[in-house]
Amino acid sequence: MTLFGYKPPFTAWVGIVIVTVNLLVAVFGPWLTPYGESQSVAGTWDPPSAALWLGADQIGRDMLTRLIYGARMTIGVAMVTTVLSFVMGITTGFVAAVLGGWVDQLLSRLVDVILSIPLLIFALIILGVFGSAIPVLVLTIAFLDSTRVFRLARALAMNLSVLEYVEAARLRGEGIWWIMRREILPNASAPLFSEFGLRFCFNFLFVAALSFLGLGIQPPFADWGGMVRDNAAAISFGMLAPIWPALAISVMTVGVNLVVDWLLSIEARPSGAQAEL
Amino acid sequence: MFRGLSTACSCRFLGVGSFGCWPYLVGAFGKVLKLIATRALLGLATLFAVSVLIFVCTQILPGDVATAVLGQSATKETLAAFRKELGLDVPAYIRFFTWLWRALHGDLGVALTNQRVIIDEIRPRFANTMFLAGYAALIAVPLAVGLGVVAAIREGRPIDRISNILTLMTISVPEFFVGYVLIAIFTVEFGLFPSLATVDADTSFLGRIYVTTLPAVTLTLLVTAHMLRMTRTSVLSVMSSQYIEMAFLKGLTRGRVVAHHALPNAAAPIITVVALNLAYLVVGVVVVEAVFTYPGIGQLMVDAVSKRDVPVIQACGLIFAAVFVGLNTLADILAILVNPRLRHRR
Amino acid sequence: MTTHIRTSASGLPVDRPSASGLIVDRRELMAGAAALGLSSVFAGPALAADTPKKGGTLRLGMAGGSPSDSLDPSTYADSIPIAYSCALWNLLVEIDAKGNATGELAESWEAKPGAVEWIFHLRKGIHFTSGKEFDADDAIFSINLHRGDTKSPAKDLLSPITDIKKIDASTVQITLSGGNADLPFVLSDYHLLMFPAGTTDFSKPDGTGAFTLETWEPGVRVVLKRKAGDYWKPGRGNFDSVEIRYITDAAARTQALMTGQVDAVNRLDPKTTNLVMKNPNINVVRSRGTGNRYAFVAHRDTKPYDNDDVVLGLKYGIDRQKIVDTVFSGFASLGNDHLIGPTNKYFAADLPQRPYDPDKAAFHFKKAGMSGPFDLEVSEGAYSGATDCAVLYQEALKKAGATLNVKRVSGDGYWSNVWLKSPFCAVYWGSRPTADLQLSQTFLSTAAWNDTNWKRPAFDKIIIAARAELDDAKRKQMYFDAQKMISDDAGMICFAVSDYLDGYSKKVKGAEPHARYDLNDQRIAEKGWFA
Repeated sequence: MTLFGYKPPFTAWVGIVIVTVNLLVAVFGPWLTPYGESQSVAGTWDPPSAALWLGADQIGRDMLTRLIYGARMTIGVAMVTTVLSFVMGITTGFVAAVLGGWVDQLLSRLVDVILSIPLLIFALIILGVFGSAIPVLVLTIAFLDSTRVFRLARALAMNLSVLEYVEAARLRGEGIWWIMRREILPNASAPLFSEFGLRFCFNFLFVAALSFLGLGIQPPFADWGGMVRDNAAAISFGMLAPIWPALAISVMTVGVNLVVDWLLSIEARPSGAQAEL
Repeated sequence: MFRGLSTACSCRFLGVGSFGCWPYLVGAFGKVLKLIATRALLGLATLFAVSVLIFVCTQILPGDVATAVLGQSATKETLAAFRKELGLDVPAYIRFFTWLWRALHGDLGVALTNQRVIIDEIRPRFANTMFLAGYAALIAVPLAVGLGVVAAIREGRPIDRISNILTLMTISVPEFFVGYVLIAIFTVEFGLFPSLATVDADTSFLGRIYVTTLPAVTLTLLVTAHMLRMTRTSVLSVMSSQYIEMAFLKGLTRGRVVAHHALPNAAAPIITVVALNLAYLVVGVVVVEAVFTYPGIGQLMVDAVSKRDVPVIQACGLIFAAVFVGLNTLADILAILVNPRLRHRR
Repeated sequence: MTTHIRTSASGLPVDRPSASGLIVDRRELMAGAAALGLSSVFAGPALAADTPKKGGTLRLGMAGGSPSDSLDPSTYADSIPIAYSCALWNLLVEIDAKGNATGELAESWEAKPGAVEWIFHLRKGIHFTSGKEFDADDAIFSINLHRGDTKSPAKDLLSPITDIKKIDASTVQITLSGGNADLPFVLSDYHLLMFPAGTTDFSKPDGTGAFTLETWEPGVRVVLKRKAGDYWKPGRGNFDSVEIRYITDAAARTQALMTGQVDAVNRLDPKTTNLVMKNPNINVVRSRGTGNRYAFVAHRDTKPYDNDDVVLGLKYGIDRQKIVDTVFSGFASLGNDHLIGPTNKYFAADLPQRPYDPDKAAFHFKKAGMSGPFDLEVSEGAYSGATDCAVLYQEALKKAGATLNVKRVSGDGYWSNVWLKSPFCAVYWGSRPTADLQLSQTFLSTAAWNDTNWKRPAFDKIIIAARAELDDAKRKQMYFDAQKMISDDAGMICFAVSDYLDGYSKKVKGAEPHARYDLNDQRIAEKGWFA
C-alpha cells in the first residue's frame, strides 16, 4: 500500500492507524458514546460489564465514554501546545546559535532563569494574572516547553552553524533567516522531529497537571492525564480503572512516534546508510 | 532536504570527530577555561535574576505567610500580630535587600513558619535529592545512551522496535502512576523493596541504596525514553553524512561506524537532552518524593510555596537555579569538547 | 490528595486548619459498620478490656503535617502537630471517647450559678520533664499565651474570658463575660497545652506528657521516647517510643500500612477503605459523623442567591445520597444543610432530611424565574473530592433543568482568595466543641466566617438566648429552631458529614473510635499498646 507516493512499513501503518482512529474519535466522539460526558451511571470503580465496557470511574461514570470525550480535549490541546512551543523554541534557539555573542548569552541565560523558577510558582502567577481559560493554558505550556526546545534547537544549530556550508552561506552574504531556514532547519530536523513526538506526549500529562491547579480544562470535561490521576488509587488494589486512560496515552504516544519515525526515515535516508540495513 | 550538504563537501570524515588530536584539545582548553569563567560570572547574574524574580513572584501571589499559616483562623488582629512578629510589616524591597545582604554573607536566614535555620533544613534534604538523582542517573544515562546506540546500530530490528515502544509506554504514564505500579508489583506482590523510602542520618549507604531503589527505577523509567530516542535519532541523522558513507566504503562494520564516527558528531543534542533530564532528576521529582515519602528538597519547596515562606522558596530556588546553570554550562562545555569545529569557532 | 506535575513542582494546597473541632455527645460507635457486615472493623470494648502492656515502637504513618510544622502551640492547625503535642504535653481538660469533658491536668471543676465564674482544681504532684511541679501559675501562663496580642487561633475561643486568677497553688478561677456552661470543652482545645510558666522557647519541649522529644524533623518524622518511670495516667504511655512519619500521599500511606511498614495510619481514603478492610491483619476504626461537614455555600446577599426560591431550588437539586455513595463510598452521613452532626446531642433529628427532588427544584427555579447558569467555584484545595462532588451536583441539577458551571480554581490560597469572597463556592467545616460554637461561628450576623452572608436577627436572638438557657429541653428546642432556620433559609448546602477512618495493624490495642478526632483523639501514642 502506498501513501502520498511512499510505501510505509508495517510499524508505520500501525502508527498511522492509531493516530487516525484517535483523530476520528476526537472529532466524532460525541456521536459514538452511549452516555453523557459526565453522567454518573454506576458505582465507584464498577468492573467492566456489558453496559460499561471498561467499567466505571471514581464517581461511577462510564470509562469508555470519558475516554472518547477525553480524546478531543487532550489531543487537541497537546497538539496545539506542542506546535506552538516548537515554533517559539526553534526560532529563538536558532537565532541564538546563528547570531551567537550577546544575543545567545541573553537568550540562554533568560532560559536558565525561566527554567529555574519553580513551575508551581509560575503556574500560580499565570493563574492569578491571566485567569484560567484554555488559551491561557495552551500559551503557558507552549511557553514553558519552548524553553526546553530552545536548549535542543540551540545545541543542534550550534553544531551546524560552524559547518562549511553555513560558513559559505554567510560569506555569500545570505541573511540570517535564509541561513536558518535553508541550511540549519533541514539538517536539524531529524532530532527536532523526534523531540516533537516526545514533547507531544509530555504535554498530555502537563495539561492534566496544570488543569489540576485550576488552569485550563475544567470539569466535567475529561482529559486523559487527569483521568489517570483521579483513578490512580485503584491500581494499588489491582483494579483496572486508571489503566485505560494510561493506555490511551501510551497508545497515542507510540502511534505518534511510529509515524514520526517513519517520516524521519523518509527524509533522512539518502544512500549508503540504507545499504547497510 | 539535505541540500546544505552540497557545500559541505570537505574532509569532515578525516577529523573523525571525537577526542582525536592533542593540538585541538589544547585549543579547546583555552576556550573552555574562558567559557567557564564567563559562565561563572553569568551564572551569578542568573542567580541574582532568579532571586529577584522569585521574590517578585511571591509578592504578586495573593496571600502571605500569615494568611497561609493561620488559614481560616486568620482575623485582623491575629494577622497583624503574626506579621509584626515576622517583620512582614516593613516594605518588600527592604526585606529583599536585607535578605540579599545576608545571603551574600552566607546566611540564608530562618524559615518564617517555624524559625528553623534554612541551611540546616535544606542540607540533608539536598543531599537526599542528589543521592536519588545520582542513583537514577547512574542507571538511566548509560542505559539510555547504550540502548540508543544499539537501537541505531540495529535500526529496524526487534531490539530497536522493542526498546523504542517500551520506553515510550513508560514515559507516557504519569510519574506517580509509574510509582504506584512499581509498588503494586515489587512491594505488595513480591515484597522485594519497601514502598517507603524513609532515610535519615543514620541510614547506611547500602540501606539507602536499598530503600531508594524503587524511586530510582521510577525516575529511570521516566527519563530513559527521552534520552534513548534522542541518541538514536541523532546518531541516525548523521548516518547519512558523506563521511559516514566514506567510513562504510572503507569497509568498517556498522557498529564501529556508529561508535567511532557517528556518535561523537551526534553528541551535541544528546548531551543537551541528557542535561535537561539530569536537571529534571534534581528539581522535578517532587511527585516521586511524595509517592515514596522520600525526604528530598522538592516537598520542602512545594510546602514553602503554599505557605508563602519566602526565604525557604528563595533558598530552594537558588539551588535549583544553580543546578540548571551548572548542568547547562557543563553541557555546553562537553558539546565544545566533542565537536572539533566548535572549539575553533571564530 | 495526589498531585503530579512532571516538570518541577506540584500544587499541594494548604491543608485547611480545622480549628478546634470536637463534638460533645456520643455517637453510635461501630453499630453502622457492623450492620454492614464489615468483618475487620474494630470489635468494640473487648479490646479496651485487655490489659495494657509496656514496650515496643509504634510507627505512625500520618497525613496532616508539613515541613513548616513547629512546636509553638499558637501555630498548630493540623493532625500531626496535635498528635505530637498531646504526647509531649497535657491539657487541662480531656475529651473521653463518648465526647464528655473529663479532667486531665485539671482534676475537677465547678461553675458558680450562672456559669460566669468557674473554679478549676488542678492535679497535684505532676511534674514537667525538667522536674518542676505543675501549678496554677503554669496554667494561667499557658492560657494567657492565647489571649491578648497573639496570633493564636485559640484567641477567639478564649475571648469571653475576662479574668484568670490564682486562688492557691492548685486552684484557678476563670471569669467570663457571660454565662457559658461549655467552658471545660473550650479548655480542651488542643492549643491550650500546659507549659512551665515563663516558657519562651517552645522548641525544647518541657511537658508533663508521657514522652520526650527524641528527633525533630518536621515534614519527615518525629520520634518520641517514653519518659522513665510510670506515667501519671495509669495504663497509658505504654510504647517505649513512637515514630510519627509524615506520609502525605494517601495511597502511599495505605500501602505502608498494608505491607507492615507502619503500624497505624490516619485518613484512609474512603474510596479504598472497603478494600483495606479485606486485609486480615488490619483493623479499620471508623468514627461516625465526627469528620468534616462538606458543603457548597451561596452568598444570600448576592444575585441570584438573594432569591429564596433559587436557594431552595439549589437545595432540592443536589443528590446527597449519590455523593455520599460515590465520593465518600458510604463513609459519611447525609447533610441536612445545617452544620450540626448527626451524633450531636442537639442534632435536630426530627427535622426531615431534605431529599433530592428535581421536580421540586425545577418548581422553585421556575418560580424564581431563572435556572442558572450558576457559577460554582471548587478546588481540591477546599477538600479532596470537591470537584467530583460539584460534577455530581451539576448532573443532578441538569435533571431539574438548571445549569451549573463548575469552575475549578487553584487550591493555593483558596481560603484567602475564594472562600468568603466567591458568591458560590465549596467549603468544609470541622466539627466544633459545642452546638453553640458550631452555629455561631458560621451563622451569626456578626460572625467573621459567615460564609453565606446570611444575616437574620431572629436567628441571632435564638443563639444568644440558647447560650444562657440552662434548661436542657428548652435549649434543645432552641437549637432545633436554629437548625431549621438555617436549613430552610441560609445559603448553606451541606450535603455530607464524613466519618474519620483510621487503619491499624491488628497488634495495636487501644484503638477505639473517638468523639473528637481520629487516631483515638490523636492520642493513640499515649493510649495504645502492643498485644
